[in-house]
Amino acid sequence: MANVITASKLTLAYDGGRKEIIKNASFSVHKGEFVFITGPSGSGKSTLLKALYGALKPKTGTLSVGGLDMGRISRSKLLELRTHLGIVFQDYKLINEWTVEKNVVLPLIIAGYGLDIQQTQAKKLLRHVKLTEQAERFPLELSGGEQQRVGVARALSKNPFLILADEPTGNLDEFSSNVIWDLMENACDQLGSTVVVVTHRIPTIFNIPYRHFIIENRGIYEVR
Amino acid sequence: MKSVKDHLMFLLPLLAILISVEFVIVFNRVTQNSEEKLRQSYSILVVSEKVMSPKDFRRIDSHIVSATPIDKKTIAKEIARGMQNAADAEILASLPHFYNLHLDRYLSRPEVEKIRQKLLAAPGIKKVETFGESLRAKYNLFLFLKVIFWSFVGLMSLVSLFLVVKQMEVWQLAHRERMQIMEIFGAPMLLRSGVLFRMGIIDALLATLLVIGIFMVLRYYYAPISGIEILIDRQELLFQTQDGVILAAIALGIVVITVFSVAIRSREERE
Repeated sequence: MANVITASKLTLAYDGGRKEIIKNASFSVHKGEFVFITGPSGSGKSTLLKALYGALKPKTGTLSVGGLDMGRISRSKLLELRTHLGIVFQDYKLINEWTVEKNVVLPLIIAGYGLDIQQTQAKKLLRHVKLTEQAERFPLELSGGEQQRVGVARALSKNPFLILADEPTGNLDEFSSNVIWDLMENACDQLGSTVVVVTHRIPTIFNIPYRHFIIENRGIYEVR
Repeated sequence: MKSVKDHLMFLLPLLAILISVEFVIVFNRVTQNSEEKLRQSYSILVVSEKVMSPKDFRRIDSHIVSATPIDKKTIAKEIARGMQNAADAEILASLPHFYNLHLDRYLSRPEVEKIRQKLLAAPGIKKVETFGESLRAKYNLFLFLKVIFWSFVGLMSLVSLFLVVKQMEVWQLAHRERMQIMEIFGAPMLLRSGVLFRMGIIDALLATLLVIGIFMVLRYYYAPISGIEILIDRQELLFQTQDGVILAAIALGIVVITVFSVAIRSREERE
């Protein structure tokens, strides 16, 4: 099966390379897999995710996402790659001046889809995340759980080949958490997207097969 | 309300810059026109014993572009007024030749003096008169006004540019988060800064139209009643169609530079 992510002797660092967070890690993720990455706070989970969407360059080693070398990728290629990713952040990263509906279709706006497609997709996704009534509201008028559901809907709006999620259910109520996990499972199982979720703990009820990596002592190890 | 304030904070300094630019254009046009008028009205009178052609004068100094002979009959008539008719012809025969010389541009006093000396040294020329003193005072006043005006306009543009830069920083703070989120999802720079471009272009066009309006009013309503001879005679000096194009180009140029610098400053730095 083709690899969507391949890391070989990957070292990630901050402060101009002085502070190493992950060292000599090698792993790969296949197309259509669901992967959980866990680890204690400050272990480098979010750092790894940043490297996966190109906000952090590898210090040494190689990291390939969708066949592109993230260490050598040009800015324009990186932007092009990102239009095919779905990213969910712990702090939601919604555009507060935009309505919920407009936030959801941001990837479609960037890709240049017409208004009709945007509206149809927004309606469908907002129904999935159970926020149909909130379409015309603004993010700051919503609860944390609702905002995160908007974030997940946005990540799924363009059927990305890879979904990256950073603590998508951290501090959320049970209802919102369940909605989000259902959507993630569906994206992987029904749409064939590869999903990488960085989280403190794996949900107790999870209905599809998954792989589990743990980040410990600057290394990445597969535990399941 | 916030949106109106946002627009005004950019529009006002832009307006000040464009007004300065248009004033510079108008002032240059007026001074050029005045210089040309001075040049045309400035002449040198030469009295010569022999007949001379324009070529002869040009050989003496290349600044001389034309030499018009003054009709001796008129002079003779003036002299012979009140005398017998026969005296007219005698006077005419005894008169030397008079020429009115025109120069290629308005020259400084030492330059004119140099030409005068050259003319006096030429064989046959008996007298040379220059009539430039009253014009020179006018011209010097122009030069003085020009310096004062440029200093004022320079200062005004500098302060306005400073305000534009300040507004750019406000924009950067207000839009950075949105632009960074859009970049995470792959939006190219033009799309990320689309809102700023729209806002900037609207302001640029508004500022251009306002300045055009102000100068049109000056041209069609103020100039005819201004009492300033040059403005009454040539109202078109106050505003011409190409000024609008220049102003729009400058305003749009400022917008493009401002928005791009905000977009570049808000760009994600890959660690």
